[in-house]
Amino acid sequence: MCALECNHVSQMKLLRARSRAIPVLRACGAVVVVLLAAVAPSRPQQAKPAASGQGAAETQEDSRAVRTREFLGLGKMPDARMAAEGAKIFGPTCGFCHGVDARGATGPDLLRSPVVLDDNQGEVIGPMVREGRPSKGMPAFPSFTDDQLRDIAEFLHLQVELAANRGTYKILNVVTGDAKAGKAYFNGAGKCSTCHSTTSDLAHIGSKMEASDLQQAFLYPGARGFSEEGPKSPPNATVTLPDGKTITGTVKHQDDFYISLYDAEGNYHSIALEKDVKVQFEDKLLFHRQMLDKYTNTQMHDLTAYLVTLK
Amino acid sequence: MKPGGVTLSVCLLFAFLAGVSVAQQGLDPQKLLQREPTDTWPTYNGDYSGRRFSPLTQIHAANVSSLSLAWMFRVTIPGGTMRGGGEPQIKSTPLQVNGILYFTVPDHVYAVDARTGLELWHYDWVDAGGHLVGNRGVGMSGEWLYFLAPDGWFISLEAKTGKERWRKKVADEKMQYFTTAAPMVVGNHVIVGVGGDAIDVPGYLESRDPVTGELQWRWNTEPQKGEPGSETWPNDAAMAHGGGMTWLPGTYDKDLNLLYWGTGNPNPVIAGQGRKGADLWTCSIVALNPDTGKLVWYFQGSPHDTHDWDNTETPVLFDAEIDGKPRKLLGQAARNGYFFALDRTNGTNIVSKPFVHLNWSRGVDAKGQPIPDEAKEPTVDGALLTINWGGGTNWMPPSFSPQTGLFYVNATQGYSLSYLTDTSERPEGYGGSGRALWSQHVLEALDYKTGDLKWSHAYTGDSIAGRLGGPGILTTAGNLLFSGDYKGNLIAFNATNGDILWHFPMLRGLDNGPETYLLDDRQYLVAGAGDTLYVFTLIPTP
Repeated sequence: MCALECNHVSQMKLLRARSRAIPVLRACGAVVVVLLAAVAPSRPQQAKPAASGQGAAETQEDSRAVRTREFLGLGKMPDARMAAEGAKIFGPTCGFCHGVDARGATGPDLLRSPVVLDDNQGEVIGPMVREGRPSKGMPAFPSFTDDQLRDIAEFLHLQVELAANRGTYKILNVVTGDAKAGKAYFNGAGKCSTCHSTTSDLAHIGSKMEASDLQQAFLYPGARGFSEEGPKSPPNATVTLPDGKTITGTVKHQDDFYISLYDAEGNYHSIALEKDVKVQFEDKLLFHRQMLDKYTNTQMHDLTAYLVTLK
Repeated sequence: MKPGGVTLSVCLLFAFLAGVSVAQQGLDPQKLLQREPTDTWPTYNGDYSGRRFSPLTQIHAANVSSLSLAWMFRVTIPGGTMRGGGEPQIKSTPLQVNGILYFTVPDHVYAVDARTGLELWHYDWVDAGGHLVGNRGVGMSGEWLYFLAPDGWFISLEAKTGKERWRKKVADEKMQYFTTAAPMVVGNHVIVGVGGDAIDVPGYLESRDPVTGELQWRWNTEPQKGEPGSETWPNDAAMAHGGGMTWLPGTYDKDLNLLYWGTGNPNPVIAGQGRKGADLWTCSIVALNPDTGKLVWYFQGSPHDTHDWDNTETPVLFDAEIDGKPRKLLGQAARNGYFFALDRTNGTNIVSKPFVHLNWSRGVDAKGQPIPDEAKEPTVDGALLTINWGGGTNWMPPSFSPQTGLFYVNATQGYSLSYLTDTSERPEGYGGSGRALWSQHVLEALDYKTGDLKWSHAYTGDSIAGRLGGPGILTTAGNLLFSGDYKGNLIAFNATNGDILWHFPMLRGLDNGPETYLLDDRQYLVAGAGDTLYVFTLIPTP
């Protein structure tokens, strides 16, 4: 049973959603929240199209890296093959002083070195390595070939890329919890099973989504689609006009002044939110919002660990 | 032209030739010291206080519904879009000096007739790098404008023509510094701030000579080896990672001769395991002597920040009562979700109170500085946070109205996940990331004495959490507050109670601080949204 408490709504005035606190409603499942005109429902943030497969996910991540690189003005993308060759030389030869990741040891951190950041394709790094910096204790390495110096330069540029280009960052591992405890939480205190089923709507969810996406999605499905299909579809609403006539449909736009929606026949309606216009939003995510104040990190990670087992 | 007009012009010409020191098109230095702007908007915040409060009353709560569009100006840039970004966004607050508006988008400066929107000149800079995240506008002294190109060039332009006078390098874009601030003219100084967070580099604030552009002083946002403050870093190597960028204009109290500035996050941005400690003077409000660049006091809003919560938000200066006694105050709604009120003579804390729901802090220390909860720091598998990932607010200008005694901020309530993606002992760059969950944009009116909420307005509809642009706020003596939602509406609120009095749907969301001024005895309102400047005035009565 859903116990719906709408007392916060009655305190809201027309065109003035003044609640500082997040409305605390006890509810479950698909809840219809009756709101007066222009009270905000919660809507998805930063919704991104979910990838339809692993290949698409990679493409999307790569394009994010390229876009971020361009935005940051980091110059050309380092050559991964040359960098891999460079790593083989850098580690044993330079790593003792600069660290195998070039982030400094007894010698300086090279990710922030002007020698590296001013270099494009070895024209600054190459001579520097070959001739050394005796005054600062850096020995000369005269025997490296031009190709080897180029590879070392690309290795260093890749290290800069991996640190500076946040478009390349990947969430490392969200599956750290106890799947058994997660299952118990799903069916017990978490009340997930009140609305969701691991054999219908969440069937095979662990195969359909990346674990990190899944963790974000179950916490708040409005933030990203809770399926491979993509972001959550727009909310449905029913608008009651002053004469009592109602229009139900899928919301196209809403702000403090207007709401517009498509009805079941595809007709478009645009309605000014004037006095005595009432809007009812179908709000399926209320329970998810309430839970955001309740999860511990352990419960969250246990749930993630359980959901990824639903292959 | 009527004969009388010619006579008047001739008289003005003689007056000019007889030795009027300030040229007709230039900015009278006295205007910068004006308590509140009226016929001009001579600096980023309108005046040095950062209150963004106008004493003008021609437009007021009872007639604002007659506000009408006077003209629009659309920025066009070569290619139409910015490198690595979309269409240009006007995040600058235009200066209005003698009927001309001067404003910017990254790489571009425009001079436009404030009466008609006619473009007078356009300065187009071709950058060699630097982040095009935004540009806050120009500074002005006499006949000269000051502009920061994204790749660390500090450029002076002739206001009349847009011709370059000189350029000075103030930051190295190859080291991933970028420059977005509006240079701030204070007496014989032009104060220049810098940004940078992709590579771990130290922050600083510079004072440059208005005539020559040469360096007068540089204040480093981290202590040097062995200096006071260095004990808040685990070692010199960690301290060298820097941060504490100075990318938003500060404020200035002429009587105390103190410059107030906010500093950004430490580096690495998210991964804090290599820099345990408070990491001074990152994420702080600092008071500096503008003539020497010496630190007078500091207050650290986010000790040991691990969430990218720059404390650069405008330090707003106002004089008001606390416990019945007049005080010189500084108020800030910080990105970490706290409202701070300080005594600006010495930095003593008066109020520290969250203005959004948050759980990253375990309360405040004896100095009123929030204590971060280690359990909420970013983790590999994700830490659930009660606060929007982008923070409780961002750079968009707040406002303080002495008429209502309220401090106004566009806030965001929300929840997010924070991740550590670089687990090495020596992380570099951001070293972490975040994921947005639910969030909601809310306009808030706070009591400066307590930080208590007096009224709020939750904007209806989709919100775009994490968006770097955002609606600024202007208040006026007409009991008005101008701001915008995230759907493109420019909105006039009753500043006392939050009632909506007027709105205008723009093509994009408001992404600068609105401003107002009198021109030909007519009050104008200016707002930037996306690539377009919108200018409003009252419909003339017949």
